[in-house]
Amino acid sequence: MKRIASLLLILVMLFVFVACDTAEPAEPEEPTAEEPEEPPAEEPETPEEEPEAEPADDKTTIKFAVQADSTDALNQIVAAFNEKSENYQVEAIIMTNDSGQMHDQLLNTLSSKSGEYDVISMDVVWAGEFAAAGYLDPIDELIQDNGWLPTDFNKGSMDSGKYAGKNYVLPYFPDLGFLFVRTDIVSEEDLAILQSGDYTYDDLLAMAEMYQGEANTEYGYVFQAKQYEGLVVNLNEFTANWADIEGGLSTMKAYMDAGILPDDILNYDEGATHTAFLNGEAVFGRNWPYMNGMIAAGDQEVTSDQVDFAPLPAGGSVGGWILGINAAGQNKEGAEEFLSFVAGPEGQKINATVGSYLPGYNELLEDADVQASNALLTNPGFTKALEMTIARPVVANYAEVSDQIQLLTHSFLSGNSELEEAVSGIEAVLE
Amino acid sequence: MKIKRFLERKTAYLFILPALILIILFSIWPIVASLRYAFFDLQLNDQARSDLYTEASYNLRLHNETIDYIRYYLNIDESVVQTDEAHQAIAELRQQVDAFDEYVETNVVQGLEPVVSIDQEKETEITRHKNEIIAGLESFYTLEDEFYSPEDMMAVVGEFNTSLIQSNYMGLENFERVMTDHRVRSTLTFTLIFTFVSVFFELILGLALALIMNKAMAGRGLIRTVSLIPWAIPTSVAAMMWSYLYDGSSGIVANLFANIGIVEQSTDLLLQSSKALLAIIIADVWKTTPYMALLLLAGLQTIPNSLYESSSLEGANRWHQFRYITLPLLKTSIFVALLFRTLDAFRVFDLIYVLTGGGPGGTTESISIYAYKVMFAQTRFGYGAAIVLIMALAVGLITWLYVKSLNVKLIED
Amino acid sequence: MRKSKAEKYLLAAIFLYLFIIIFPFIWVFLTSLKPESEIWGRRALRVFSDNMSFQHYQTLFRGNVLNALKNSLIISTITTVYVTIVASLAGYAIARLEFIGKKLMLLIILGTSMFPQMIVIGPIYRTFVRLGWTNSYFITLPYSMIALPISIFILVNHFSKIPKEMEESAVMDGASQFLTFYKIILPLALPGIFTAAIMTFIGVWNEFLLSLTLNTNAAYHTAPVAISFLRGQFEIFWGQVTAATVIVTIPTLLIVLLFQKQIISGITSGAVKE
Repeated sequence: MKRIASLLLILVMLFVFVACDTAEPAEPEEPTAEEPEEPPAEEPETPEEEPEAEPADDKTTIKFAVQADSTDALNQIVAAFNEKSENYQVEAIIMTNDSGQMHDQLLNTLSSKSGEYDVISMDVVWAGEFAAAGYLDPIDELIQDNGWLPTDFNKGSMDSGKYAGKNYVLPYFPDLGFLFVRTDIVSEEDLAILQSGDYTYDDLLAMAEMYQGEANTEYGYVFQAKQYEGLVVNLNEFTANWADIEGGLSTMKAYMDAGILPDDILNYDEGATHTAFLNGEAVFGRNWPYMNGMIAAGDQEVTSDQVDFAPLPAGGSVGGWILGINAAGQNKEGAEEFLSFVAGPEGQKINATVGSYLPGYNELLEDADVQASNALLTNPGFTKALEMTIARPVVANYAEVSDQIQLLTHSFLSGNSELEEAVSGIEAVLE
Repeated sequence: MKIKRFLERKTAYLFILPALILIILFSIWPIVASLRYAFFDLQLNDQARSDLYTEASYNLRLHNETIDYIRYYLNIDESVVQTDEAHQAIAELRQQVDAFDEYVETNVVQGLEPVVSIDQEKETEITRHKNEIIAGLESFYTLEDEFYSPEDMMAVVGEFNTSLIQSNYMGLENFERVMTDHRVRSTLTFTLIFTFVSVFFELILGLALALIMNKAMAGRGLIRTVSLIPWAIPTSVAAMMWSYLYDGSSGIVANLFANIGIVEQSTDLLLQSSKALLAIIIADVWKTTPYMALLLLAGLQTIPNSLYESSSLEGANRWHQFRYITLPLLKTSIFVALLFRTLDAFRVFDLIYVLTGGGPGGTTESISIYAYKVMFAQTRFGYGAAIVLIMALAVGLITWLYVKSLNVKLIED
Repeated sequence: MRKSKAEKYLLAAIFLYLFIIIFPFIWVFLTSLKPESEIWGRRALRVFSDNMSFQHYQTLFRGNVLNALKNSLIISTITTVYVTIVASLAGYAIARLEFIGKKLMLLIILGTSMFPQMIVIGPIYRTFVRLGWTNSYFITLPYSMIALPISIFILVNHFSKIPKEMEESAVMDGASQFLTFYKIILPLALPGIFTAAIMTFIGVWNEFLLSLTLNTNAAYHTAPVAISFLRGQFEIFWGQVTAATVIVTIPTLLIVLLFQKQIISGITSGAVKE
């Protein structure tokens, strides 16, 4: 019996230890009851209070489900809205940055018709699915009430949220893939060709072969070919938005056979790409704008003056995040007010100037403050890339389509299946 | 004696009750609730199939949204079109829309229900109204005039079709599809291979570890603590850790394997299906051998020392002791350990999801990962539930084989 | 006493084994001391870096990890205590008492552990939302699903090995069923009970999916969930992840260290006889 007593004692002590360590007043009771009739009654009272200090006024709280923002932009947007709004205040529920996990979590919440969130942030490829499922409210009326037109916003983002003739989303921040070029290696003439956008993947391959090895580089080119969504993004670009699937796939394979890629390119995601490029191991790299943020932040082998940008041969895929309203939400009016604020000029300006995100509200592309805070916006190569964006398919069963394409492509690239098989498979999936 | 029996029975039920309540509330009920889906064509990303419908129904929420949008687009078109004909047509279309709305308002709506069931007559009437509007719009857009966006309008009226819901009960059809799904077959095969190989090695190593932990020797505390480290790391985190160790260029283990010739190049490890399987099994054995060892250690504790003492007096060597004392007396513990590890390994998810994501080319996809992708990524919950049910049946079969082949009795009859 | 040759080999084998087991963890620890730029790329394979520091640990302690550790401790402890009590009662009844439906009970327990967790998450989440139990320590209740079956099986196995005579003599003395259980059986089964308790504790400590789904508020995140947040949209903060791995592993090791005597107590007590 002494042993049980000592075990309990240690557990109690553990409790006290961890409980003292925190400011939270709610204490779980120590379970001692052993009556078998009772289901376990050890549960502590639910501590309802949020740790953050809540303002004492009686504003209605709007819940915004959003992925973590490493910059201060989200905080500032929320603060600015709470300052401005008379009836509502926003609480940001921070979700994981693992987008697959966030998708599944949102799906769980939305399919339960739970009003846990009012406004949700989504990856561009989820909107078709969520809209088709009836989880989102259409927002054409909101656009109209604000005196806007759908064309006032980033086209790629709006396209990805248009389903059954209705608009369901406004952009949170658009993203696009483009080419990073090492200017200390590549000649000015070649850079000019690349920045014009008037070149092919074969031209790029030739350049990569030519420059590979210079300035201690190991690879001519790095991109994303792991079996995940990024592979679909890259194939979208190689096939010129699925116009030439056979050509795109064989070009990708030609890149692999040319010896200009890392051996484990089939395991490359964005992280591996930026590691290789920022360590000075690659001449060219395909990535999203965030990589430029890392270069600009310094502390890398490669510095800003060694890098320039260009559009990809057949255009870059649109990525980024979009905002929609939960159809099961309890505070539609507040949700609309907040959505208009974030996606409108005020919120987008904060996002662009504080977080260096691309603005989804087009007018801001010309805004002096915005341009000053994001060097990309005045770069000729990047602005050209901005004109040449392509979207991924907007279908209700996008995940299924993507999953199949990933499988077929990865299988072909890793030498486990033939070209015809992959081509006909992908064609069938895209039907 | 009867009274005693009765009392004992009552006490037994009291003892069982808390466990039973918990299991019913948090295992059985949720499992049953989810497995119901297997008999329906339940697909969340299609509003006509996103719930369990056993009879024809009508989605009023979507209906209202569609009516609103038609009116909205008609208003825009009215300001765009030039000809009188077109204006005339818009007025007619408005009447048709109003009539449809009126019909639904008075005959279909029941309180505030977003989706209501409808009988044959209502279904016919709704279909008639709907087709009338679609036909009206089609002929409207053939007029020679300017319009705002015919594609958007036609996409919007298409939602009337989605609003009209048919029963999506499909009996055993999902199971038939599972049986012929080649991806189920390949993932099931992979999972079986993975399970048997990993559990086999875990049993051998776990038994060795348990014997060492049980031996009275200096540093036993250290050995025990160190050997439990892998198990104390959360699986999701351990998987990430191994993905770093296996990385083609920066991973120490991948480079080590390349040096000693297990793989040709460090980058092959996760990119060749047989090597990727090896990598996954190593990580899993590393992670769960301590669990196995602890389960077996608990069993070793119940073997009295006196048995060993008397047998060594009789001149039995270590191997004989192990073979004729330890193993037989450990049989139930081995059975419990094997059983639970097999159940666990068969459900393997985190580890593979993080390490290979099912790659290269789907060759390391476990059935859990496939079911998860079907359910959460593709939102086909009905089909996913059917896969899970088949999977559970497979595990059940394995368990039954265990019980038969090991001839174990956990309780006396 | 002089060690035999065989024993020396055994010792060497044990050390080799332990080294292999602990090597990944040591590597992770070393990595956690390297600056982010040396975790990937050419310098990643060096054992030591010239710039080793505790910077990642400092960053972590400013974040949510301590709070998550606290939540993990609370949730794991509550679950361990109640699951062990419930499982002991059930395990004893199944091993020792006569009642109808015993086999069925075992079958149910085993049957429920054949299903992957993802299948129960939806319904449980919906119930939690309806009851307002999301973002609370109520999550300990569904954790019974992870821990109860294995605990019950371990304990049935243990209770059934305890000689019947001991309890029969107690019953003869007029002790009630419950008292017999409490006074005679429980102490004898302690090693099994501790094993079951540690299984539960670590099982819950490692759980990820339920925790992520039911407790979305950062104030209730458990350690594995908090670690999964250590990433940007396109990158994982490996320095912090490795540091967090080390931190999260320490409490469980301490517990094993603290309780390892109890795990082997059965041997020394010598009360268990065939």
